[in-house]
Amino acid sequence: MTTAVDLSNALAGAVERAAGSLFAVHGRPRLPSTGVHWRAGLIVTASHTVEPDREVTLTAPDGRTLSAQVAGRDPGLDIAVLRAEVAGMPTADVHDDGELRVGHLVLALGTGPRASAGIISALDVRGGRQREPGAMLAVDLTLYPGFSGGPLVDVLGHIVGITTSGASRHLQCAVRASAVTRLTEYVVRGGRIPRAYLGVGTQPVVLPNDLRERLKLTQRTAVIVVNVASDSPAAAAGVVIGDVIVSISGHAITEPGDLVAVLQPDRVGHTVATSIVRGGEPRQMQVTVGERPSRG
Amino acid sequence: MSALLAAEPTPHLARIADRLQQVTVEISGAGGGGAGILWAPDLVVTNAHVARASRVRVGLADDRQIEASLIAADRRADLALLRVPRVETAPADSTDSDTLRVGALVVAVGHPFGLRRTLTAGVVHGFPVSRSGGRWIQADLRLAPGNSGGPLADTTGRVVGINTMIAGGLALAIPVNDVRRFVAASATGVP
Repeated sequence: MTTAVDLSNALAGAVERAAGSLFAVHGRPRLPSTGVHWRAGLIVTASHTVEPDREVTLTAPDGRTLSAQVAGRDPGLDIAVLRAEVAGMPTADVHDDGELRVGHLVLALGTGPRASAGIISALDVRGGRQREPGAMLAVDLTLYPGFSGGPLVDVLGHIVGITTSGASRHLQCAVRASAVTRLTEYVVRGGRIPRAYLGVGTQPVVLPNDLRERLKLTQRTAVIVVNVASDSPAAAAGVVIGDVIVSISGHAITEPGDLVAVLQPDRVGHTVATSIVRGGEPRQMQVTVGERPSRG
Repeated sequence: MSALLAAEPTPHLARIADRLQQVTVEISGAGGGGAGILWAPDLVVTNAHVARASRVRVGLADDRQIEASLIAADRRADLALLRVPRVETAPADSTDSDTLRVGALVVAVGHPFGLRRTLTAGVVHGFPVSRSGGRWIQADLRLAPGNSGGPLADTTGRVVGINTMIAGGLALAIPVNDVRRFVAASATGVP
């Protein structure tokens, strides 16, 4: 008879524990988003809720207002890492999220705290701009206005991800805690999240059937290079306008968003095998990924 | 939220549902309609926007239809108290709504779109300030027209609020502590 009561108390307790590490993030007009004090001095939120070149302020759980700086962003995962003087404030109970399973009961939280409940609906959101398999979860719950950047909490009160409604047009998503921690580690080690850079502008292009058959390609589309920045990694590797990029490091490139997805921060400085089609003939190129200058 | 029901040990929630369905009445009458809660053997509470006439019909869980008369209505608070002929059914249990916490599991019973005594489950979302300066119980819970006036209850099956509105996809309920004060004030001097 007490099981449902216990579960209810566990959920309410989970909210209470997580609430102490939640900040309101004022990084866009009107509606503030939610941020999580991930590790000392670093607050994580959804990148799409923090506009570029904008002063960011935070409201702490105790009501204090603090200023914050964007230390790094990962637009592909829709994560921004903010730096603020939050000495003495508790950090989130971030947990190894390897145990998550489809069907697990989870809560999404906004500042207040406000809560929303549902289940994990998929462990791996494929397609779109997702990259490392499993970095983005799909959740079956309602992300109410202002929830983006807030924590995904399990029934034990552990923070297992960061929710965002900006990563997919159709799904409510959450970035796994492990992927978020990886991004914060870049900031801790190097003061920023490096942005991998090739220096190409591209457009999607449909591959003709005979070309696909001849080159044994399963993908229907690829991207065509319409711009190559001078002195860029792509220019150095010999990429020219009109080249069709088919894959990078074995990952199919079917739309410009796939480039963003493949160009993870840890690719910076590494050479990637790039398959292109030039004049109807396949070619392999080695491109050394550079770093894009940060604009905050 | 069906997901929550699926994750729940059904026998327990089923018992709660059964009990709540017994104390959830159906109200129909001129210009209004919705749900109500059997508060005492001869009293029903509901929303003022559900009981709009001085006499309304009340449908009990055993399918009987009885006549009810309006004793008191507070349009601002959206609460109404009805007198019904004494019934045998044990009235609703209620609890202290101030002890409710964000994230707690809650269930609602009502007649969404006329589907009688339907149970929905969700969690407490927050406690926003209401027009009157009090607090709502806001729940991440799917309600529909026909839920108005019906009970919002905790996992012990005790009523914590009266479902009153839907705003931004969230349920808004009047805390049962406010309802208790309203009933006490309205029943004073009523024999």
